[in-house]
Amino acid sequence: MRHSGSQISAYLDGELTGPELADFLHHLGECGQCSDELLETQEVRAAVRSLPVIEVPAGLMPATEAEVLPLHRNRGFWVSTAAAVVILIIAIAALVTPAPATISVDELNSRFAARVSLDPAFGPAKVIIPEVTEVAE
Amino acid sequence: MKRLLAGVVAGLLLIPHGVALGAELDELLEESRSASYSAEQLISCATPDGVRDALIELQQRAGEVRYFGKSKSTTEVWSGYGGWVVQSDGSVIDSANVDGEEVLPAEEPRYQVEEAGQALYLGRRADTYVLRDGELARAELIVDRATGVIMSVVTFDDEGGVYCERTFVSYNPNVPEWPVVESDPDSEALVASSESTLPEELAGFTRLDVYVDDDGLDFGYYSDGFFSFAVFESDVEIVLDGGVVYRVDGGSYAREFTPGQVTYTWPISNGGMALIGDLPPDMHDAVLAELPQPYDPGFFKRLWRSLFG
Repeated sequence: MRHSGSQISAYLDGELTGPELADFLHHLGECGQCSDELLETQEVRAAVRSLPVIEVPAGLMPATEAEVLPLHRNRGFWVSTAAAVVILIIAIAALVTPAPATISVDELNSRFAARVSLDPAFGPAKVIIPEVTEVAE
Repeated sequence: MKRLLAGVVAGLLLIPHGVALGAELDELLEESRSASYSAEQLISCATPDGVRDALIELQQRAGEVRYFGKSKSTTEVWSGYGGWVVQSDGSVIDSANVDGEEVLPAEEPRYQVEEAGQALYLGRRADTYVLRDGELARAELIVDRATGVIMSVVTFDDEGGVYCERTFVSYNPNVPEWPVVESDPDSEALVASSESTLPEELAGFTRLDVYVDDDGLDFGYYSDGFFSFAVFESDVEIVLDGGVVYRVDGGSYAREFTPGQVTYTWPISNGGMALIGDLPPDMHDAVLAELPQPYDPGFFKRLWRSLFG
């Protein structure tokens, strides 16, 4: 039989019976390591049991239950609330972020077209077709 | 003496038959500007993004042109001497002015003008000229002999392929009644500035003049003597609606071709840039490479912009 810490705990808790108990006791008689471990475990248990019992303050448990149990029981509610808060933060950020200033190419094209009219090659070789002029099909 | 004669003969043999360098480019263009006529012009460009074409009614008188689409559109354009006015249904919808006093032409045009023979165009006697950059033909002009009007312009890419054709499909040496057009009274003329961070040279193009306005917009005008483009640098984003994404050297640009013209826009770390011009596509990458490269704001900023603008 192999050394078994879990069987020592089971033995001390009175959970071993029949052949299992007989095998354990037989092994215990031959194995010094398990005998020592059994003694140590018994001493630790005895020490723990000898500690004084402290009464839990009267209002502690109800308060804890009041806070923890709804969180557990209403997980969907809290997930939804967190998602709504995140969306709200993003929406507010989007609203307060000013739209980036831009300039249209059409404005630039007008300036280019005006300058082109001073070009020596201005004329049939250089006419600029504005966006609004319909082109042939 | 024999050696000199041999040299002259060898020189003559090297010149192709029927080809000689002719008029100066600026003389040819100046003569065209002073002509008066009305015509229908077809503009057709084979661009990397597809064919772009337009048919317009074009009138020119004393250096000014007036044109409009050959459709039911009521939009008309007047342009000349630094002015640009777009009118629709009798109302000015767009205008711009550039003060021409500080504007100078390109000092050394890249192109030589080569006479390429006579032609008959729309029943009129005309002469053909080729603009050459060394061995490379970049444009072919057909010029009406009587008036100096450029009846046809064909531009080429660096492999000899046609990029754009601007050809008259009808021509009338008379100009119809020309209504008086007033520009927008609130429009102030742009005045050339002496200070700008825009490069003075870009891939063989020379910056002729530059304009800086109070809104933080720099505008440089570049020319190689025939093709020209503008570079804009702004401290805000420049929006191009309807463009396609063009990627080169890891940079991402928005690009749009319209008949005879190309527009690029791209973000930079502190704003945006744009290029607008008529240069052939094979010149685009070289020019863009010498300008500030597109700025990538990162995933989260792009996501934020796509969600909230």
